[in-house]
Amino acid sequence: MTYELVSGFETHIELSTKTKIFCGCTTQFGGEPNTHCCPVCIGLPGTLPVLNKEVVRFAIKAGLAVHGRIADVAKMDRKNYCYPDLAKAYQISQLYAPLIIGGYIELSNGRRIRLHHIHIEEDAGKLIHRHGDTYVDYNRGGVPLIEIVSEPDIRSVDEAKEYVEKLQQVMRWVGISDCKMQEGSMRCDVNISVRPKGTEAFGTRTEIKNMNSITNIARAMEYEYERQVDLIESGGKVIQETLRFDDATGTTSSMRSKEDAHDYRYFRDPDLVTIHVPREEVEALRAEMPELPSEKFERYTEDYGIPEKDAALLTKYRSISEYFDSAIEGVKSPKTVSNFIIGQIFRRVETEADKEIFDVAVKPAQLNELVKLLDSGKIRNNLAKSTLEKMLDSGKGALEFISESDMGGVDEAALLELCKAAVEGNPKAVEDYKNGKEKAIKALVGNVMKNSRGKADARAAEEKIAELIRNA
Amino acid sequence: MITREDVENIALLSKLFVPEEELDGLTRSMQEIIDFADAINNAPTSGEEFDNINNLSNVFREDEVIPSYPVTEILKNAPEQAEDHFLVRNRE
Repeated sequence: MTYELVSGFETHIELSTKTKIFCGCTTQFGGEPNTHCCPVCIGLPGTLPVLNKEVVRFAIKAGLAVHGRIADVAKMDRKNYCYPDLAKAYQISQLYAPLIIGGYIELSNGRRIRLHHIHIEEDAGKLIHRHGDTYVDYNRGGVPLIEIVSEPDIRSVDEAKEYVEKLQQVMRWVGISDCKMQEGSMRCDVNISVRPKGTEAFGTRTEIKNMNSITNIARAMEYEYERQVDLIESGGKVIQETLRFDDATGTTSSMRSKEDAHDYRYFRDPDLVTIHVPREEVEALRAEMPELPSEKFERYTEDYGIPEKDAALLTKYRSISEYFDSAIEGVKSPKTVSNFIIGQIFRRVETEADKEIFDVAVKPAQLNELVKLLDSGKIRNNLAKSTLEKMLDSGKGALEFISESDMGGVDEAALLELCKAAVEGNPKAVEDYKNGKEKAIKALVGNVMKNSRGKADARAAEEKIAELIRNA
Repeated sequence: MITREDVENIALLSKLFVPEEELDGLTRSMQEIIDFADAINNAPTSGEEFDNINNLSNVFREDEVIPSYPVTEILKNAPEQAEDHFLVRNRE
């Protein structure tokens, strides 16, 4: 029998506000243990949490970025559980009236992963387990999170990877989080079940907690899928349980024992008043939203004819797409600009971190000027390429490297003269070419390019030289 | 109706140990607390949705950093501490 994977994600994203969700302590990552704390975020009795307005604004932006509906009324609830990562023995979260309802992430195969809701909540402290004891650092306690809860719409490991990447991309794009999985500012709980292909009913699911890299999400899902299928095939039953993934062995194992079965006894937090979201505020935030990566992707592929693969690279980070948008102003072929960026410029911007910042020596206006020279036929492609290299080396504009005499290219008669000179001056290369060494012609073309100072059209020169040798 | 099992379960979730001989008394006490809350729930009201006594909503703070407390103050009430951390001993 063939099986189908069914998966839904709960994704926690730390918001990049300056302060925590209910107090004025900094949200800066790291720091000496327990130095970003106050009586509110360590949960001392008698303290009163007050909601950070920016958290609400950021969460609304997140909601708008994934096409969610912003609730008119939202409330905070207490989720009760006894564990040292929470000083109060409850986490302030949202269950009954979350801030964002619905929404979706659209994948490249056209499928939409629907979202159930997005809620705001506080992060827990960090636990360090050593010699059987637990050391608690509450610096992270109270850092604002959004939890994005998807419907069980994911059907393969590839879809899961793309879902996480797209969430990460769009949340960074709208500037609400840096979504660094390695620093824990983005973490996923993966719900996974299997069912015979073609059937509707869901199988029993397990939940893999706290995944902090896309690679591990894929490994854990592959392992868990196989484990569940093997279990069912051998006549067993999947038990609903919470699992942890072991990075070293690539396997999952049970995390909680039975007596810890969740009963969070959620109830309205009496310390925090109702949030009414004025429509004008939502509309003001909507007006501030940048063009989203999915919208840019559509514009690039449909209006400019840029291949999907290239459009995906241009829209991976907001800074690259903004560079591109400003470099294509008034040019005939945006595709040429795209090729320069993805080819020569990307070669100089190697790491993902640098790509995200995209601080390139050649400014968009300078690339724009170069492409316009090419557009107007004043220079040839090969001269444009070599000029771009010099521009990248120096940060100077195109006209620093292209003289008046370079412009206008090389006419037919001049090209013929140059080719003749190359053939006559290099009998060895001509002989090699005649003897079947096809590459030898490159030396002759090189000679033409050198003597025309890069102005000649290399392809035309190659054709002309081949013709000259044939007819000699 | 509160049962002995409810009390045992809540004690377990709260990581509290309740001796057998106290169970009946606690069950009765808890029933009384729930009855009291029910009495409030059943009080006649105007039917308007009641949110809080002061009718407040949208109480926010601006996103401005306020200096945190020194670690010595934060750890002052900790039952146990080590290396600037709260220390939770393994009881097993």
